[in-house]
Amino acid sequence: MSEFTYQGEAGRQRPDPASTDRAAWDAYVYDRLNPAGEHNELWQHSGGCRAHLVVTRNTLTHVISSVAFAREAGRAHSAGRRGKGARS
Amino acid sequence: MSPRRTADSGRIDRSRQIRFSFDGANYSGHPGDTLASALLASGVSLFGRSFKYHRPRGVMTAGIDEPNALVTVLKGDGREPNIPATMLEIYDGLTVVSQNRYPSLAFDVGAVNGLAGKLFSAGFYYKTFMGPVFGPLKGTRFWMFCEWFIRRAAGLGRAGYAADTARYERVNAFCDVLVVGAGPAGLMAARAAAEQGRRVILADLDTRLGGSANWSDETIDGMAATDWVASAIADLSGRDNVRLLPRTTVWGYYDNNTLAALERVTDHKAKPETGEPRHRSWTIRAGSVVLATGALERPLVFPGNDRPGVMLAAAAERYAVEFGVLAGERAVLFTNNDRAYRSAAALARAGARIATIVDVRDTVSAAARRLASECGAELLAGRAVVATDGRRQLSGIAVRAFDARSGTVSGDARNLAADCLLVSGGWSPALHLASQAGARPRWDSGLQAFLPPEPTQNWIAAGAVAGAYSTAEVLRQGLETGRMAAGSADEDDGGLPLAADDELDPNPAPVFEIRADGKAFVDHQHDVTADDVRLAYREGFVSVEHLKRYTTLGMATDQGKTSNVPGMAIMAAAVGKPIEEVGTTRFRPPFAPVSLGSLAAERHGHLKPERLTPMHDWHVANGATMFTAGLWFRPQIYGLPGETIEQAYVREAKAVRDGVGIVDVSTLGKIAVQGPDAAEFLDRVYTNMFSTLAVGKARYGLMLREDGFAYDDGTTWRLGETEFLMTTTTVNAGKVMQNLEYCLDVVWPDLKVHLTSVTDEWAGAALSGPKARQVLEACVTGTAVDDATLPFMGIVRGEIDGVPVTICRLSFSGELAYEVYCGAGHGTHVWETLMEAGELFGIVAYGLEALGTLRIEKGHVTGAEIDGRTTARDLHLDWMLSKKKPFIGSAMMDRDGMTGPGRLELVGVVSLDGRPLNGGAHIVESSNPAAPRDSIGHVTSVCYSPALRKYISLALVEDGKARLGTRAFVSDPVRKRFGPVELVSHHFFDPEGKRLHG
Amino acid sequence: MAEPLSPLQPVWQPGRHGNLSGGAGVVLSETRPASIVQVAAWPGSERAVIAAIRAATGLALPDGAGGGVAAATKAAFGVAPGRFVVVDQAEGLEGELRSRIDAATGSVTGLSHGRTAIRVDGPKAEWVLSKLFAVDFGLTALPVGSGVATQHHDVLAQIQRTGAMRFDLYVFRSLSRSFWKTLCHAAEDVGYEVI
Repeated sequence: MSEFTYQGEAGRQRPDPASTDRAAWDAYVYDRLNPAGEHNELWQHSGGCRAHLVVTRNTLTHVISSVAFAREAGRAHSAGRRGKGARS
Repeated sequence: MSPRRTADSGRIDRSRQIRFSFDGANYSGHPGDTLASALLASGVSLFGRSFKYHRPRGVMTAGIDEPNALVTVLKGDGREPNIPATMLEIYDGLTVVSQNRYPSLAFDVGAVNGLAGKLFSAGFYYKTFMGPVFGPLKGTRFWMFCEWFIRRAAGLGRAGYAADTARYERVNAFCDVLVVGAGPAGLMAARAAAEQGRRVILADLDTRLGGSANWSDETIDGMAATDWVASAIADLSGRDNVRLLPRTTVWGYYDNNTLAALERVTDHKAKPETGEPRHRSWTIRAGSVVLATGALERPLVFPGNDRPGVMLAAAAERYAVEFGVLAGERAVLFTNNDRAYRSAAALARAGARIATIVDVRDTVSAAARRLASECGAELLAGRAVVATDGRRQLSGIAVRAFDARSGTVSGDARNLAADCLLVSGGWSPALHLASQAGARPRWDSGLQAFLPPEPTQNWIAAGAVAGAYSTAEVLRQGLETGRMAAGSADEDDGGLPLAADDELDPNPAPVFEIRADGKAFVDHQHDVTADDVRLAYREGFVSVEHLKRYTTLGMATDQGKTSNVPGMAIMAAAVGKPIEEVGTTRFRPPFAPVSLGSLAAERHGHLKPERLTPMHDWHVANGATMFTAGLWFRPQIYGLPGETIEQAYVREAKAVRDGVGIVDVSTLGKIAVQGPDAAEFLDRVYTNMFSTLAVGKARYGLMLREDGFAYDDGTTWRLGETEFLMTTTTVNAGKVMQNLEYCLDVVWPDLKVHLTSVTDEWAGAALSGPKARQVLEACVTGTAVDDATLPFMGIVRGEIDGVPVTICRLSFSGELAYEVYCGAGHGTHVWETLMEAGELFGIVAYGLEALGTLRIEKGHVTGAEIDGRTTARDLHLDWMLSKKKPFIGSAMMDRDGMTGPGRLELVGVVSLDGRPLNGGAHIVESSNPAAPRDSIGHVTSVCYSPALRKYISLALVEDGKARLGTRAFVSDPVRKRFGPVELVSHHFFDPEGKRLHG
Repeated sequence: MAEPLSPLQPVWQPGRHGNLSGGAGVVLSETRPASIVQVAAWPGSERAVIAAIRAATGLALPDGAGGGVAAATKAAFGVAPGRFVVVDQAEGLEGELRSRIDAATGSVTGLSHGRTAIRVDGPKAEWVLSKLFAVDFGLTALPVGSGVATQHHDVLAQIQRTGAMRFDLYVFRSLSRSFWKTLCHAAEDVGYEVI
């Protein structure tokens, strides 16, 4: 069992919960980037502190160029969105 | 003393004898000997038979690169095949047998393969055994006929059938600097890094650290190289920040400077100490790595180059100087480079006679000539060996004139007597790890070798692996790389030991093959000849990767350590391109074979983790048959003597319906959901509403996945305004927890909610049956448990024999039922108290089978029905889908295809022929058992229902809701079951739920 | 009230075991604290939670990830951002902390039954633990008092270094018996004593 669990692509925007925009939901649930190069990924430290991390990893070289707590990154982001008057 | 032992050289301890056996014959050697050195010293030249042609083979190298001398070690009932004799340290009682010979090594019937040479040429298997059948003797059918004979004749060692009883373990290590290879460069690097205060690990695959310094006869820092090694090791061992790992092969270079190594801890001992493993698998995370892995000498390819007695020059040097063994009494050196003259000179000093030196170059440097005359050898320049003679041991060679530029031989052959032919075709840096963690290796046309590539990870190469061959240069590189790896800018040369600069030309002549008549082997281990390589080219295999797979060159246990570069050079010559354009294969882990045991290590056998409930020991002591659910152990039944499983669970389930039963539900996932936004969070993840739940009440909840399919169910209890206890199914507990954590971290980072797994905090016992309340009344204090105080889905707190308990009235069996939770440490005590209180009411402990039966009778779904393809509506759980709020899955759950006709819907199934139903059986409409077709669904959960006195099941059936009351058939051809069934409501028993409210 | 049962009871064999040629390399014990409590802060209220832990236990936690402090009968250490494990040999710690930490500040979760506390003490403690965990147990990487959350295969473990050669491990109760067996097995080569 691995200490870290891959939890998918980072930075995806969940549509407004009340939204009925099918295309937006389809994109959120099914579409994933699969770049050859820099990729923002979510990894959970499942065998440890349980936090999710946003990891920027190069899929060609496996070099990790940045790591941040997802919760902090997410809060900063949603604060930004609120700032623009969007609903969080 | 054997005639092959030198007078006094070597690291062996001549004062002690070690006895061992090889192919049933007894031999002796000394501590410090390998099997190869001990057998050579005893005059043994024949070590094994070759892979395809069963040619006699001797020992070619003195180390990990050995392709020929592979043996099988017998230990107890176990057998460990394919161990290089060159790496096997002898111990008293060591029992070894040779491989790939029948009936014996000296007389081998398979050697006739050698006569049928063409038969086994490159691509033999593909050509002969694949493809269409032409007549009786071709194609796959022919393969089936021949397989037994070929598998017996061709191959390496045979694995044993006995379980491996050896112990293995894994270790994690962290260091600032890992130095791989403890030759002069590695020792120097380790010391330089250690002096900077860094944590250093120095690993070497050999028993004795020191590498080439153990046999180079050089002077370092004014002393014998071996003494310098001893002082360096003494210095390193005295430091707290250094760990020395001899007998440790670093075999894999993975991401983020994580390296894998195998330590052979007790392979050299007759019996390990208590607790000592056979192998230890190291995972080393290193800040930086110094690769000082040295270089491997490569052979020349010429006819008869595989005869026992043909040996790499440096290997013979090593046997003489390090092990005190002469590989032969009358030796000839065949070389394309200067360095090999040093080997000849070392052998001469050790007492061997070097009769002749055959050099493919027509001009030889003065320094090399001096060495030749030092050995008293006749020098034949511009010549090459074109044939060898002898049966199981070399007796002579034939030499002809050779033009190194055109690669052609000419003139008459001259025959020379020799029992040992030292061969050197130059050196190949051991860049395997560098290749694993680097770009493509680059070709150096001077050294005629691939040098380490540009690093893609944090490593530096030092010494021979980096192409440095003079000891002075090797030491300087060691010092510099050690400091660099330690992050030091120190440039002071003070610590650099003195060593003479080498006058010999490091560059070999670009000669890899002597083309003449006869089989000339490139890959000795897989019997791939130079002609096979050319044949592969003619048949269109021009890529090195294809060449490798078609001819199998470079495969097998030695991974082509001696054959890759010659093979590529021959390919390049055939293609007519320079070697660098033909390319090189990328090396992958492992560098050398790794025991599977060391990788499995502590996950094996009794150390596999078992997850036990607080009442586990009670269950076992009271006759439970335990059943695994993931890691959990749960009681399946508490069988009475002579009972079948079905009889036991039917009895247990009946006891519940008739009176009262108790079941361990501690395995249910339990998650503490705490925080000011806990209720809001639950509203978002459950399909139904939890913010309206009163404190002290529980509610059944359903979760969907984002894509709208059903995910998991369970009850959640509101213990306080901001505190909930969520339960999940046993199997989904981990997944649900992870999913909820994902939601909080990623989807709703603003919610103030904490999640904590409290599964293990609480022991849970479910008490079910019409008399359940009476049992509680008999033992619970501090609270009433009557219907008013504890209504359906109510929660109370009280005590049972002084232990605080939380009791929730909820039911999955359809009976009046309660879940009683207490601190896990009190679980057994509370359970026993409940059993005692229940005795009067005929309480019965029941297991998973009865639990399943009770819930199937009530039509409650679980993992078999919530299978990732069903929706809430399919499962009749529409009533749980709130219309007042969005929740996870609400946007996707009703899209096209998720509703409407054609869905598989939950139904009940009753067996009409009185026979059991099987999970996974199809439901069909056709009544013809011979041609069952057009499945309309499948059976998910089955039981014998004591309440209905029938075999029943739940099933998912196409448009099942519309089929209630109709007949169909179960079809289960695999288990030969066909029979009529009726499709009914999944609420088999007490559909109005009267019993629940007792 | 009856004493809580230890999950290790059937496999707990006091005495010296394994290769004792160099003495017992480690001493293994179950410390059985009566209180194991997790305290978690909301973002921004970490200091308030640390202050509450100090008020309840007298332990002054450093401000920072993985930091911790260990006293004779009490200990506290960080196991995740804003999350701490607080341990007391005496009962009542959960109530103490709950009275000082309201829902607006953080949450308090009782784990006294749910985690088994195992102590590995002795000159070979780092060596034995290195066989089980991919953690750098060097004194600089993991100073006395500090903690780490990690796993050995399926067994999650929260580990606090409570001395130069001493580590306290908190593992899930249901897996602790298996883990104890694995731990003893790993300690055989250096010899161990169970107390």
